[in-house]
Amino acid sequence: MENRAEASARNDQTARVGVYICHCGGNISDHVDVESLADKAEHLPGVAAVRRNMFMCSDPGQAMILEDLQKGVVDRVVVASCSPSLHETTFRRVLERAGVNPYMYEHANIREQVSWVHHGDAATQKALTLIAAATAKARLLQPLDPLRVEARQHVTVIGAGMAGMRAALDLADRGFSVACIEKTPWVGGRAAALDRVAPTGEAASDLILSLARRIMQHPSITFYPCARLVGFDGYVGNFSLDVEIVPPEVPNDEELRRAHEAWTAKEPVFVPSRGALIAPVPSTPQRFRLETGAVVLATGFRPYVPKHGEYGYGVYREVLTLPQFIEALRDTAPQKGSTLTIDGRPIRSMAMIHCVGSRQIPGLHEEGPSGHLNEYCSRTCCAATLFAAAQVRERFPQTHVFDFYRDIRTYGRGQEEIYQHAAKNKVLFFRFEPENPPQVQPFDGPGGFPLTVSVQDTLTFGEEVHVPVDLVVLAVGMEPSDIGDLVHLMKLPVGADRFLLEVHPKLRPVEMATTGILLAGTCQAPMDIGECCNAASAAASKAAVLLSKGFVTLDPFVAEVDAQKCEGTGACLEACLREGAIRWVEGQRNGQTVRHAEVVAALCLGCGACVAVCPTGAIQVKGSTLAQFEAMVEAIAAEVAA
Amino acid sequence: MALVDINFADELEQFGAPKTLECFHCGTCAAICPLIDQHFPRQMIRYAQIGAKDRILERGAELWRCLHCGLCTQTCPREADPGEVILALRRYVLHHWRSSDHV
Ligand code: SF4
Ligand code: SF4
Ligand code: SF4
Ligand code: SF4
Repeated sequence: MENRAEASARNDQTARVGVYICHCGGNISDHVDVESLADKAEHLPGVAAVRRNMFMCSDPGQAMILEDLQKGVVDRVVVASCSPSLHETTFRRVLERAGVNPYMYEHANIREQVSWVHHGDAATQKALTLIAAATAKARLLQPLDPLRVEARQHVTVIGAGMAGMRAALDLADRGFSVACIEKTPWVGGRAAALDRVAPTGEAASDLILSLARRIMQHPSITFYPCARLVGFDGYVGNFSLDVEIVPPEVPNDEELRRAHEAWTAKEPVFVPSRGALIAPVPSTPQRFRLETGAVVLATGFRPYVPKHGEYGYGVYREVLTLPQFIEALRDTAPQKGSTLTIDGRPIRSMAMIHCVGSRQIPGLHEEGPSGHLNEYCSRTCCAATLFAAAQVRERFPQTHVFDFYRDIRTYGRGQEEIYQHAAKNKVLFFRFEPENPPQVQPFDGPGGFPLTVSVQDTLTFGEEVHVPVDLVVLAVGMEPSDIGDLVHLMKLPVGADRFLLEVHPKLRPVEMATTGILLAGTCQAPMDIGECCNAASAAASKAAVLLSKGFVTLDPFVAEVDAQKCEGTGACLEACLREGAIRWVEGQRNGQTVRHAEVVAALCLGCGACVAVCPTGAIQVKGSTLAQFEAMVEAIAAEVAA
Repeated sequence: MALVDINFADELEQFGAPKTLECFHCGTCAAICPLIDQHFPRQMIRYAQIGAKDRILERGAELWRCLHCGLCTQTCPREADPGEVILALRRYVLHHWRSSDHV
């Protein structure tokens, strides 16, 4: 292993480090004495300039660094500010703009690690220690080249609901080859169960069919029905996916059999509640590998299923979920009259209850079988409920509709009108507090209504009111689809709400932590169809941006073997966490052919497990070499001693 | 406890208030009403919506404190005509008194 003498010998005596200390408004300077910090930093070895700024990330702050670099005052930079995850790339870009290698940069976190957690002299002292360490490392920085790997001009979309179809089309239109794998024989996803779609009132089947037709006809899209992902490997630009096709039992599925018979290569066949058939149903099991550049996840959601007895669900046949009611209403379409009839029963009066399986409160609501509560708002149910309510009132004016809510928010363009419209159509509202939800019970009063909904109604000044009804509709929320297998296979981050988790909701809203895996639609969070399509188009654009140059650049912080020092012990290979990241190659040393390790940069995680075990110090992670660490430790020790 | 009478709003239409059910209880009318504090006229409108006839008859006298200045109707964001509902309720109460031999 390299010893200290060697490490310090390699200290670059000519390095000119610029130290830039940020006040972050008062965020840092209220607790750290930045003035004395700057004075002391000037005396650190190798420091050529120290400057301060109120906001280092601001344009003037960046300009200050740029100028020093361009004038040659400094040739490498340490910024002491917030956490590197926030602005490291911002400052690397400044180096790039100055024509300096962007990896001649080191970051000292004196906000999260200092001013937010320490006060007084101790804070200033710790900030100085961190700056000293960063400066010591900065002196040893070497210019690095970003990794460049070829990117396949091919994207795989998982799921063929509205979001999956939208993403596939956007990508294909941009010139990429697209594979779309879908676990059912159908396209359209959950939208196929809908009737008319708020707020525009278009038929859901029309929306599905128009996308389905284009997918069928697009020469660059290959659609794989009844397909699942069973293997996943690789990295951005070069993923390998193993796909398995399991044919369904067509004769046992009457609707599928008929749709399959009606299918021609020209026109999709739409079956309500199932979707559109756009390709023949596979008849033999198959397994194959897809080589692809990026993956768009569009695995969708499933509606919450109320627990047995929740608002009478599963106990009284007159209690339905909103998706079930929408299907029933759609199937009664030809019936025009004054009273809605469902299952042969006239519905004179019906109740709709909001927030079923959404906005659940710990301690108040019962957890699901998996021990989870859906604490989020499912966003789409208010509008969907009111849209259905208004449709009932318009088509069946003799049917009274009573709406029970905790809060109503028909957010988004054109949606508040849905609420207005329902009220204009004389839907009557009741408002309850979560701790006093409506009770659904059998009714034995006048009129022969089977059920009554009782509620302590805040609109009636907290009085208990009873509403006799023929039907109760539960506006159930959304839960993510059961994609445990994908989560496991692709190591996907999942949020506390069990939906897939983006890197950052604002800065990187459709990206996952693994570069090249993108999110579209309700696998990420509850969304309506319009939002799903927005998200899908965003994911498609991101995938296109990643791949369109034909190559992708990755950070160069990967392991590298010094062939001269490697003795072929294989310790690194054994310790390495990533299959295929280290391989044996033959090389020449002193005229002899020797076997030594080599790192496959694109696969390496940069974790450093190999560095720790190598007995000869032959393997190092670029940007974090042992010599650099030793210099940092020495600087810290020197500061503490001082 | 009140059992919702789903036909009362239709009945009230005959007394001149066709939009009773359009109120969504924002409370703007009660906030602007210069005469009566508490929840007037919203409370009456609510009783009309759910068909709580007993409550309306019990509190019938309150209806006559309204001067029909029109502020509530002017400010109602739902154009639910709260002032008209109050007038219709007066007619309803009078009618009820008459038919129950009160006068
Ligand atoms: S660089 Fe970071 S610490 Fe400085 S102002 Fe910007 S956010 Fe605040
Ligand atoms: S840094 Fe990690 S992933 Fe890369 S070669 Fe070493 S052990 Fe393997
Ligand atoms: S019309 Fe009557 S209820 Fe309406 S604001 Fe005037 S006084 Fe109040
Ligand atoms: S202002 Fe209109 S909508 Fe609001 S409570 Fe009064 S009547 Fe109802």
